[in-house]
Amino acid sequence: MSAPAARAYRPPAPLGGRRGARVERRRTLTALGFLAPALVILGLFVAWPMLSALRLSFTDASGFGAEEWVGLDNYVRVFTDPDIRDAMLNTLWYTVLFTPTAVLIALALALVLNSPALPFRGFFRTALFLPFIVSLAVAAFAWSYLLDPRLGLLNHWLQGAGVQLGDVLEDPVLAMPAVALVAVWKNFGFYMVIFLAGLQDIPASLYEAARVDGAGAWLRFTNVTLPLLSNTFAFVLIFALIAALQAFDQIYVMTGGGPYGSTQTIVMEIYRSGFRRLELGFASALSYVLLIATLLLSIVQFVFFGRREKDLG
Amino acid sequence: MTRNITLAGVGAIAAAALVLTGCSAGGDSDADGPVELVFWHGYTEADGDVLEGIVDEFNESQDEVRISTEINTWDVIDDTLLPALSSKTGPDLVAMPAERFPVYAAKKAFIALDDFYADAASNAGDVVEGAKAMTEVDGTSYGVPIGFVPVAIYYDKAAFAEAGIAEVPADWDAWVEAAKKLTVDENGDGTPERYGMVLPDHATVGNGVWPSLLWGNGGDIVRDGAAVIDSPENAETLEFWRDAIANDKISPTGVDGIEADSVFSSGRAAMTFGGPWMTFIAGDAGIDYGIAPIPAGPQTQAASAIGLTLSITDQGDERKQEAAKQFLSFFLNDDNAAAWSLGSGWPPLRSGIPAEAVSENATVAALSQFTPFTRPLLPGVVNSTDVLSALDELTQRAMAGEDIAGLLEAAQSKVESALADQ
Repeated sequence: MSAPAARAYRPPAPLGGRRGARVERRRTLTALGFLAPALVILGLFVAWPMLSALRLSFTDASGFGAEEWVGLDNYVRVFTDPDIRDAMLNTLWYTVLFTPTAVLIALALALVLNSPALPFRGFFRTALFLPFIVSLAVAAFAWSYLLDPRLGLLNHWLQGAGVQLGDVLEDPVLAMPAVALVAVWKNFGFYMVIFLAGLQDIPASLYEAARVDGAGAWLRFTNVTLPLLSNTFAFVLIFALIAALQAFDQIYVMTGGGPYGSTQTIVMEIYRSGFRRLELGFASALSYVLLIATLLLSIVQFVFFGRREKDLG
Repeated sequence: MTRNITLAGVGAIAAAALVLTGCSAGGDSDADGPVELVFWHGYTEADGDVLEGIVDEFNESQDEVRISTEINTWDVIDDTLLPALSSKTGPDLVAMPAERFPVYAAKKAFIALDDFYADAASNAGDVVEGAKAMTEVDGTSYGVPIGFVPVAIYYDKAAFAEAGIAEVPADWDAWVEAAKKLTVDENGDGTPERYGMVLPDHATVGNGVWPSLLWGNGGDIVRDGAAVIDSPENAETLEFWRDAIANDKISPTGVDGIEADSVFSSGRAAMTFGGPWMTFIAGDAGIDYGIAPIPAGPQTQAASAIGLTLSITDQGDERKQEAAKQFLSFFLNDDNAAAWSLGSGWPPLRSGIPAEAVSENATVAALSQFTPFTRPLLPGVVNSTDVLSALDELTQRAMAGEDIAGLLEAAQSKVESALADQ
């Protein structure tokens, strides 16, 4: 029996050189060719409008007629106008009500629905996801009627149980929690599905090892599930945060920003400035302030979760 | 992954920015052939049929101008007008509620019509003074009125007969007394089965209920361009009606204008505030209704107008603008002014239309009598929607029992701020 012939090792061609550069250029051109349609669309529908809005934010544009350069006036007004300050506080309040509630409910239900012991898991997953695919406007209308003190089924049922809910959408204290809860109902199913995907990526062997080491359910959750769900958690949290900061349609339909402006959010102020007062310059400045705030909050979360992942790693 | 999320956020905001930005494209009308005009309006009921008929007749009356109409709800018109005009693809003629008109006029979205009014051939020389006032900003008119009708009282004749009330009350005290008699709480649970009236405390019909009441007691919201909402007269008015609602329970609270219509049409109130459309709502509900003016306040009798304006947009095409003026003249001529009034149920827009020309429509005949004390709502106030929001907050909170002096002070500040921004 003869020994197998040793295969000669041939090192890869050195990088650089005329032939290498040609190949590299061809690859770049090919990549650009494939990317071109997306780049054109992004440029036309994202970059150009963003740049146009940035320019508008330094003018007193109304959409027609002449426009004048006003420098930073619009930005100064964003931070001095009491209505905008109230809208910022409202947006913050809505974010605090919506984001943790939606994320925690989604996580809790994902943990329950990930258990193989639970019967009818598919049915429950579908049922809880369904509100997410309902049109936002339809959901908002339906909840407005459900909550109506004169027509609403919810009030009718609660009255039967001796509870007087009243007109929550006309109550300046209860209106914001009410719209935030409807938003939670509408969105938690989506976040739950993302958590479920994250949970299913965690190898079962880790849980087995933890069990062997004597870890109970809580220790397995805190030492296995949570660390390995860190990326998913960051994704869901940032997504929920952006949704909260950009809340508009549902609130517009349910309360129109009322009562007394108690549910008036930043995006509703952008709409009011742009389409009701025809102050496109100011609306653009407000849009940019919201954009920067959203980016900053996203970056903070990104850094926090990135560091946490690194520490755990 | 996180970067993708961030990009998604940026994209979403950029999409909003796209809407705000619009794009620009111009174009003149074809020099040959008839001038083609587009007319946006929101009349969808019998009034819409009458307006479409007037447009058809205009098209048949000459060969130089052709008008096509696009009908949408008033809200949709308001939401789409800005992007349409900013991209120079907007309508040439547009009708809109009077409270939304001044902001467009002030931003020069419409052409000035002072010359048009000065031209004897325009048929606009005798347009009702109050109706014309609602088309003016800084003393210049940017449109013609297409609707000017007072907020009035619509009442249930059977309920009045049952309560033994023979005449419609003429002043506030008699009005509240009548409302008390009409209020029925059969089971004594403190919630009447039928209220004497339904007085909406926010988003009222045409936003004109509370201005009418404030004027009746000598108060006002904006006078000569200045905020005057924080006044002893207004405080007195709010106290008076809060007392009537809270103590005498003559009206439900927390109701807006749309809900008020349903409270009346379902028989749960004997009187309501409304416009001509209430005749259809009451008729459909089988209510034998009567129409009466808002009773006189301690100082005067006044009713806010529910107003609509018709304007020519400024998109840089003078040929189209001149053609649009031809239609305005046609719309205001004797025959069409009377036909529009009869068909829409709204009083004539010109003082020169004789009463007998519209007497066959009982609603028009009744409402026309109220024209002398009908006032335009916040004429020339550019940010009128902000002023009306402040008024809504004031009335809603006042009727809910909050301190009136503090509320008036806050409303004064908000109205001043809205006026300063214009």
